[in-house]
Amino acid sequence: MKLTRRQLLQNGLLLGASAPLSLGAAWAADSGLAPSPVHGPIRLYGVDRSATELGLGLRQQGWEPRYEGRLDPLALNMLPAGSLATGFTDEAGLVLLTSLLAGRGRVLALGLHEAGRHRLLSHRGPMVEPLAVSAGSWQAALGREYARLAQVEGVGRHVREVERTPDAATSATELSFLVRL
Amino acid sequence: MSTTPRILPKGVSEADFDAALARFREILGADGVLTESDQLAPYTKIMMAGDDADYIPSAALLPTTTEQVQGIVRTCNEYKVPIWTISTGKNLGYGSAAPGETGQVMLDMHRMNRILDVDPDVCTALLEPGVTYQQLYDHIQEKGYKLWLDPPAPSAIAGPVGNTLDRGVGYTPYGEHFMFQCGMEVVLANGEVVRTGMGGIENSSSWQVFKWGYGPYIDGLFTQSNYGIVTKMGLWLMPEPPAYRPFIIQYQDPEDIEEIVDVLRPLRIAQIIPNAVVIVHTLWDAGTHVVRKDYYDGSDSIPREAIERIKADEGIGEWNVYAALYGTPEQIEVNWKIVEQAFGASGKAKIMYGEEAEQRGGGFEYRSALMKGDMNLQEFGLYNWRGGGGSMWFAPVSQAKGSETKDQTELAQQILGKYGFDYVAEYIVGWRDMHHVIDLLYNRQDPEETQRAHDCFAELIDEFAKRGYGLYRTNTEFMEQVAGTFGEPLREVHKTLKNALDPNGILSPGKSGIRQ
Repeated sequence: MKLTRRQLLQNGLLLGASAPLSLGAAWAADSGLAPSPVHGPIRLYGVDRSATELGLGLRQQGWEPRYEGRLDPLALNMLPAGSLATGFTDEAGLVLLTSLLAGRGRVLALGLHEAGRHRLLSHRGPMVEPLAVSAGSWQAALGREYARLAQVEGVGRHVREVERTPDAATSATELSFLVRL
Repeated sequence: MSTTPRILPKGVSEADFDAALARFREILGADGVLTESDQLAPYTKIMMAGDDADYIPSAALLPTTTEQVQGIVRTCNEYKVPIWTISTGKNLGYGSAAPGETGQVMLDMHRMNRILDVDPDVCTALLEPGVTYQQLYDHIQEKGYKLWLDPPAPSAIAGPVGNTLDRGVGYTPYGEHFMFQCGMEVVLANGEVVRTGMGGIENSSSWQVFKWGYGPYIDGLFTQSNYGIVTKMGLWLMPEPPAYRPFIIQYQDPEDIEEIVDVLRPLRIAQIIPNAVVIVHTLWDAGTHVVRKDYYDGSDSIPREAIERIKADEGIGEWNVYAALYGTPEQIEVNWKIVEQAFGASGKAKIMYGEEAEQRGGGFEYRSALMKGDMNLQEFGLYNWRGGGGSMWFAPVSQAKGSETKDQTELAQQILGKYGFDYVAEYIVGWRDMHHVIDLLYNRQDPEETQRAHDCFAELIDEFAKRGYGLYRTNTEFMEQVAGTFGEPLREVHKTLKNALDPNGILSPGKSGIRQ
């Protein structure tokens, strides 16, 4: 599924003059977003609802997600050092992404989201958010968690598995990432 | 919740390792020495059926010069620190960028990426190990040279030096990469630098044109080995031909593989078809862009009925032969008639080129690009076929004979079927040999399936060896086992050489099963 214009607007992901400020502000007010980004931009990749929701979680924590569409790992080479990137991809994308980061970047966190469980690997200390859907979608919760990890300075590899609450697409396996170039 | 303690090289104390790291930082600068877990994480990504805990590096070093590599190995000798060398680190089906065993220090050569020379007259290049195919391609385009490369399938991000040193193959007439290598610069374990072939002659102009030099030819010792670190390598480039005709031949029955190979062999040996021809099975051809669960969701091997549906939906054959003709238009017309006559004799083949081939499904577009040395990443799509991130390339060699091909195909399908995996395979046809490349795709997130994949791969190695088929290349998890199939006398020679050239065993211990 492609992101609709409405979804892009909802999360402030559509940039430029075509996104009316008043409409964006209205969505922001409805969605518990931070009034204005305080942490700077973060590249957001993915082509479906999961990316939209992840972006929502990031914005709620004061980041400014810039929607980049489907992950093209080769394009990451063009980004300036220090850039943050997050989103969802498939197996092939993850293989390429991790491979290209060798000696060039840092893997802050990876997530495997499959039927019944989330497997979360962090190199920025423990993940604390339960990814519960009570406060919205698990993807938005993941966005809030990735937003926090993006600011953590300490390092340390932690693996955590949490139950994935059944949802409409509960059988679909998704792969998320948070990296710094 | 789990955490990981600090990883150290085997047999090295924390104090010694810290001292070695301090020395590495003096040699490389702080940004050339990686020790934090988020920096090392990309070096831990494996796709083979091994335990993640067995493939974690203790650090990664990023040299930019030969002198720095010399300094690194001298330090490693002093502190007995083992290093595992990668060039661009894209050997994805054969061990990725991970070390051979936990604790080894990665020597990542990707920053040594200078194109030292490209000579458009004698069609040669001299490269450092970090140069990628894309980088070399861009350089040639920028200069306007009429030269072609020969990249492997995951081409843009991989590099010619690493691929050649692992004796990889491509798809143009220069497909057997080591055959087109000429001259090396190697840092030995003692820190000395040796240049092979004509490279020992000061100011030699023939280092990249005459392979053999004087005395014993030693370049092969530095391929698939751990006897030295190659810091420069020469290779030959193919001059762009005046005309090029890629084509595809489809066969619909599983048994047709025998006919295909027997028709193809004389055409390859006589160089009527000069390139490394690929005979691709349905599931490989479709798997680059089709997902398995769209046709079958079972955990056993995909059934024949589903394969037939894929063939019908995608317009592809059971066997899909991708080949090309090169030369002047007149040469191509003459050779095309020979090809049509040879493959048309039985009436089973559907031969296509040009628009007809382009309109057909499958991989004609990206295969056509590969056979003329262009870049693409289409084959990464195979990782989505089954999902789960598990992939191991099983690659036995056979003669280019139909009988051997039939034997290998049946044996592979029987063993893969026993363990519930799909036959996702292709044959790459050399001058007289064939590489039977099977991508064993599985779900690494499932421990039971991963164990099954491990057992399956081990059985494939043993059963193929019993019938006289050895592997030309393998991943780090199975290097020891594969080395065993080639017999103890050869292993003893390898070990003797290792002890002579690397007495402290610091260079890639375990590579190709070679240790002290």
